[in-house]
Amino acid sequence: MLEHLMELLNGELGPDLLRAMKVIFLAFLTVAALAILFAPAVKPGKTSYGLLRVIFTASLAAMLCYQATWQLLGFTKPDFVKFMRRYNKRPNASEIQVTRGPLLDRRGMVLAAPVPGDMWGRRYPLGEAAVHPLGYYHSKYGITAVERVCDPTLSGYALDQRDEALGKAIFAQRASEGEAVTLTLDLRLQQKAYDLLEGRKGAVVVMRPRSGELLALVSSPGFDPLAPEAAIADEESTPAFNRAVQGRYPPGSTFKILIAGTAIDKGLAPVYSCPGMGYVAGPNTPPIRDSEYYAYARQGAAWPGWGRMNLKDAMAHSSNVYFAQLGIACGPDAFNDMMARARINAPLTYLKAAGGDLQCAGGNAPEVSKKRALALLSIGQGEVLVTPLHVACFTAAVAADGRMMRPRLSKKTPVAEESRLFSDATAAQLKLMLRDVVVRGTGKGANVPELAVCGKTGTAQAPGGDDHAWFTCFAPYRHPNIVVTVLIEHGGYGAKSALPVARELLVEADRLGYVRRAEEVHP
Amino acid sequence: MSRKNQILTPVGAATGLFVLAALAVFCACISILGVKLGNAPVMPWEQLIPLGAYLAGVPLALVWLKLSGWKGDAGLVGAVFLLCGIGLAIQFRMGSFAQGLAKPSALMPFPLGLAAFVIGATLTGKGRGSWLAGAGWLAYLAALGVLAAMLLLGQRYRGGIYLPGNMNPSEIVKPLLVLFLAAYLSRRQKAFSETQNGIPVPPLHALLGLVLLWSVPMLLTIALKDLGLMVLLNAILIVMLFAIARSTGYLALGLAAVAAAGFGVRFISAHAQARFDVWLNPFADPTGKGWQILQALSAMYSGGLWGAGLGSGVPQSVPIVSSDFVYAAVAEEIGLIGCVLLLMVYAALFSRGFRAAGAARTPFERLLCVGLTGALGVQTILNVAGVTKALPMTGITLPLISHGGSSLITTLLVAGLIAGISDRK
Repeated sequence: MLEHLMELLNGELGPDLLRAMKVIFLAFLTVAALAILFAPAVKPGKTSYGLLRVIFTASLAAMLCYQATWQLLGFTKPDFVKFMRRYNKRPNASEIQVTRGPLLDRRGMVLAAPVPGDMWGRRYPLGEAAVHPLGYYHSKYGITAVERVCDPTLSGYALDQRDEALGKAIFAQRASEGEAVTLTLDLRLQQKAYDLLEGRKGAVVVMRPRSGELLALVSSPGFDPLAPEAAIADEESTPAFNRAVQGRYPPGSTFKILIAGTAIDKGLAPVYSCPGMGYVAGPNTPPIRDSEYYAYARQGAAWPGWGRMNLKDAMAHSSNVYFAQLGIACGPDAFNDMMARARINAPLTYLKAAGGDLQCAGGNAPEVSKKRALALLSIGQGEVLVTPLHVACFTAAVAADGRMMRPRLSKKTPVAEESRLFSDATAAQLKLMLRDVVVRGTGKGANVPELAVCGKTGTAQAPGGDDHAWFTCFAPYRHPNIVVTVLIEHGGYGAKSALPVARELLVEADRLGYVRRAEEVHP
Repeated sequence: MSRKNQILTPVGAATGLFVLAALAVFCACISILGVKLGNAPVMPWEQLIPLGAYLAGVPLALVWLKLSGWKGDAGLVGAVFLLCGIGLAIQFRMGSFAQGLAKPSALMPFPLGLAAFVIGATLTGKGRGSWLAGAGWLAYLAALGVLAAMLLLGQRYRGGIYLPGNMNPSEIVKPLLVLFLAAYLSRRQKAFSETQNGIPVPPLHALLGLVLLWSVPMLLTIALKDLGLMVLLNAILIVMLFAIARSTGYLALGLAAVAAAGFGVRFISAHAQARFDVWLNPFADPTGKGWQILQALSAMYSGGLWGAGLGSGVPQSVPIVSSDFVYAAVAEEIGLIGCVLLLMVYAALFSRGFRAAGAARTPFERLLCVGLTGALGVQTILNVAGVTKALPMTGITLPLISHGGSSLITTLLVAGLIAGISDRK
């Protein structure tokens, strides 16, 4: 008998049966309630406390009226409707529910899509490769990143002027739909960059230098956006942490781009002697040495030093001894001024949306006055810290004639200049130097001839392990279209671990048509 | 009328009402079972024990009333049994009995409550109730004892205080203090009835005596930080003073006092302050402090006029829905229509309780009945007002429907006492 009942309930008749039971129950309840109202009462005595009876009955009636303003007329309260749109996920409240809009990449490919019939369902085709920029939308762990700040648009509760229209739509019991949000990412580059990191802790930023559009924003390791709990709890490899925008790292030699720019702006192009034993900035300070000193020392040999050297060679060979002296020659004022122009201490906003802004963490460029500190900062060591996104931004400034553009993740955000970092002439000289780095210097590994890559390696001393490896570059030399910045935590020498990732990514980006224009590929 | 009364004895009428109530409860259970079986084919039939106890136990109680010659208000008894039945169905729906025999503490309260009902009705039936007046001081001391014990032994859980075993003995404090007040005030009826231009002016010594005696339990409730209980006890006091003096002055005074206390309590307790703020603007912190009330209102909105159907809603999204917020679950599943019917039954219960009080022979019984009915009424109003956001939440349960053993047993005892007083000879 139970089986028959089950069949009946799960069959087509099920909902009708339940509806019928609802009506029958209410009918019986009505009969019972009326019978109680009209049941014979005791004979009234001297008093029957009429006022008390009226007060209690009237209070209950008043409460029912107030309840009706929520239960029947709740849609007239915009705050309440907003709340229910976000948090009332009942299947039988479909009129206030919306199908959450998708997140699309720059070509309209799906980055995140709703699951029909499941209010908290979300499909992420890229999975862990894009979880950091996109965030997750989870019934228990909440909403993060782009999903969070674009939530009003995606879930259609950014009502504002549309309150009245919404009230009408709800009254007519029509479910409305959230809007799609189109991002500047290219899902192929995002995936490729994530794959190239091979699970190592690190970050990749790919952007357009002149528009600030972010083509890829990758942090590794990633995690499954549908099951974030393990990632949130993992305090060792901290996958939930977005290294590309939240990670603050010593920039190492990538910082020499800014120091060289400062010097050229000041009209300095000195020749320094760079002895093998290093440069001592003051009494009681350890010498600043070139990396070759340590490489020779490991083999039991003594590094003779670069001898007398100009700026171009120093950049190509990434000479710490030269740049320490150059930084001191520039002086604290010029240095501090450059830090302010590069907005090192400021969080850069890369997405403005109805639900808030997304920013990268502000870096750290301390105000300097002492020679020793200046020497250290000039080689990207000491107290200076920046995010990979910020490194990409100042690299892009070299590629875009000295203009540091505001990074942006949404197609809708207008192109804007964050700050004027270098003059046109300075930028042109820096470009040439960075090209030289790849042609004959530390970045030789990235020399894909047809792409005319310009770049800078970085190897930053980091506590608790090997150095952090950087490579930041752009291409092609003549008309730069793309910037790639790679950071690998404790990756060792920049040219060894970070550079190959950037190189592969540039080749892939070129294949996808982001680097050379069509006429350059097929002249 | 008299003819009808001859055909239908009070117990007969009550039995008829119970049959109607049982039919409604039966439909409710079929509907709930349908959904439960649709979701999971296997269910422990032990869950149905309380409902079996309802179908079997209530007739037994009616037989006892018949045998003891009870001739009280049938509508009152019918209302109590209908509300109990709906309460059991809702608790069955919320899964309060899901652990079956493994958790007898969930199954036992209703049978015990029925016993308490019968005992209450027998204690005060046939005009016997006046002897309880002698127990006034005993009740006062017992109430203080319970409050003191809670202060010493109680453990705080979700803003309430419980004794070991999850008992909430503060429930019994209410009828005990009502009994004390009825005994105390009925002996000083004259003093508290004096008015000038509608303003009550009881002699100073009478007033001082009452204030002194009342301040002890009040201080204890403040120490317990049980603001709901404090509000409830004071509301009962006001109702009883009004009943004895028949002066609306006490009601006006009471309202003024409530407003002042409501304002003043914000400075005393951070907990009360938070509840007050949430009431004023739940949208200020929608996912934190405002979450519960907004989820409750969302549940109601989803229920609409006709409700989702018993068992077919999603009231679990409201935190602690089966106790304090049970009314939200009810509203979601039986709709505004069902709520109107339900509150109608409550209104009938209170109305008949007050009428029975008016018909009672002695001032003590009158006051006792007014106090007990008022306690149930104020509790219902405060709970429903809290869940619908008409007033701040006080953490008071909905009589006969909310989950909670101590509450159910005490409420049924109180209902029994009222039913007994309604039988005045």
